[in-house]
Amino acid sequence: MPRDFKEKFFLFGIAIIAVLTILPLFHIIYSVVVEGLPVLLKGGFKFLFGTLAPPGDGLGGIGPAILGTFILTFLASLIGLPIAVMTGVYAAEYPESIFGRLARVLLTIMMEFPTILVGLFVMQILVIPMGRYSAIAGALALAIVMMPYVTVYTEEALKSIPFMYREAAFGLGLTRFKVVFRVLARMAKKGIVTGMLIGMAKVAGETAPLLFTAGGANRIYFAGVDRPVGAISLLIYNLVQQPYENYHEIAWGASLVLMLIFLAIFLPLRLSLKEVKL
Amino acid sequence: MQKVDTFRISLLPFCILIFSIFALMIVTYLAVSVPIFQKEGPQIYTTNIWKAAENNPDEEFYGVLAAIYGSVYTSVLAVLIALPLSIGFAVFVIDYAPQKIKEPLIVTTDIMAGLPTIIYGIWGAFVLVPMLRDYVMYPLHKHLGFIPLFSFEPAGGYSFLAAGVLLGVMVTPFASSIIREAYRMVPFTYREAAFSLGATRYEATKILLSYIKPAIIAGILLAFGRAIGETVAVSLVVGNAFNIHPSLFAPGYTISSLIANQFGNAFIYGYMVSALFAAGFFLFIIGLAVNIGSLIILKRWYSHAQRF
Repeated sequence: MPRDFKEKFFLFGIAIIAVLTILPLFHIIYSVVVEGLPVLLKGGFKFLFGTLAPPGDGLGGIGPAILGTFILTFLASLIGLPIAVMTGVYAAEYPESIFGRLARVLLTIMMEFPTILVGLFVMQILVIPMGRYSAIAGALALAIVMMPYVTVYTEEALKSIPFMYREAAFGLGLTRFKVVFRVLARMAKKGIVTGMLIGMAKVAGETAPLLFTAGGANRIYFAGVDRPVGAISLLIYNLVQQPYENYHEIAWGASLVLMLIFLAIFLPLRLSLKEVKL
Repeated sequence: MQKVDTFRISLLPFCILIFSIFALMIVTYLAVSVPIFQKEGPQIYTTNIWKAAENNPDEEFYGVLAAIYGSVYTSVLAVLIALPLSIGFAVFVIDYAPQKIKEPLIVTTDIMAGLPTIIYGIWGAFVLVPMLRDYVMYPLHKHLGFIPLFSFEPAGGYSFLAAGVLLGVMVTPFASSIIREAYRMVPFTYREAAFSLGATRYEATKILLSYIKPAIIAGILLAFGRAIGETVAVSLVVGNAFNIHPSLFAPGYTISSLIANQFGNAFIYGYMVSALFAAGFFLFIIGLAVNIGSLIILKRWYSHAQRF
């Protein structure tokens, strides 16, 4: 019977589709591990702490890039998190105000915004006036990318608290400041922290906003916030485009490191939650 | 006496800061693009010329049509791949996957959505491109080369197809999560009604999917927006050549990869920075239109869906 046949075909088809959807991830993980692990083993500790090798000569290390990724993520959090959390609180507390309503729309749009445009923008307003690439410019670009996630999570976490608690807190005669930061924020802690970590995991792997802001530095360690700084993602992007065999090997090794950092932040976070917004 | 809400006033600066960053971004893009608009007018978007001349700004001429073409071409390919995959995956996870593997499947796609794009990039450049070139492009070109789609000799493998496939892989989990949320919201009575009429599972799914059609369109639009804005992964596989060619196997440019590639040395020329900002502005507008459009569709659908 054709109806029967269609049914079987359909069930078979969507099972295949489901496999096809996630298959690339396993192939990516497989490729990165197969290509990257030997590099990591061969390079040993030196690969994690050393500086970049000259073209065509050995592995050297990606130490400055790893440190750079942490510095950039840290600085970006320093800039972005306070602004984002406060905006999230405002949007949750005054949802009917003009800013509150618009903030939601704006942030949802910013979440989907091409990140290269953020990099270009920061270059124009910060790198050109300063005259050089710098860690602070990279961090600002990352902060702009990070803020929407943190704000939306903060807002949703605060809104999810039942209204009773608010009433009770106000009933104790607390000021609004204390109600929000002493009572509600503590209750919404998990959601807010989740948003912060998602934002950080996101920017730790970003490349496009750093292209014209951080500048990249692979042979010297951190020289100051107003100096160029490397990042793992940026290093991979540059090395892949080089013709040297050893640079491709380093790129694979660096990819494995980046993937492990990402999974170390993201996986525990994801498993402790029901769903995430990315 | 009206009491001053000090709490609100102390929070307001943060809020205003975010809005001013966004406003400053728009102003910057407009302001920096002005010189090229004054010099070339709309031709910046309608011609495919890339003439950079050192020390002689009058000789310079930039037209980014090839990049616009490439961006749209690769993103449409990505969406064509993502459409069946994301719908199929959403239906499978909600309705047919065994309870035990439901959650792992969703976690897997969440990892895919969050994975640093540069990792997709290196995989695309070193694994996907050779694979596509040897097993897809060459056979098709050899046997069906007379069809314009397959007419270009796939020399390096870096092509619209490679970029489209890579983007398709990258945006599928994202589109799927939007479709999944909508599909989950379809009231159970609809399922019951479909099955009680004697519908097979295939027929029931078809009915239910027609119910969430707006959400599917919104999901695909958002996926298109993501695909068109993606930079590093695409620029590593698309070939980076000014090329308007119908063939899937031809190398090309996208707006974002053009910016990524050319911006580093743009400052030695008179108008190139301005031209690249104009290209970026175009991307800005597309991104804005796609996002606002899909948000409106989604919002309307959700408020409609809640009434049932």
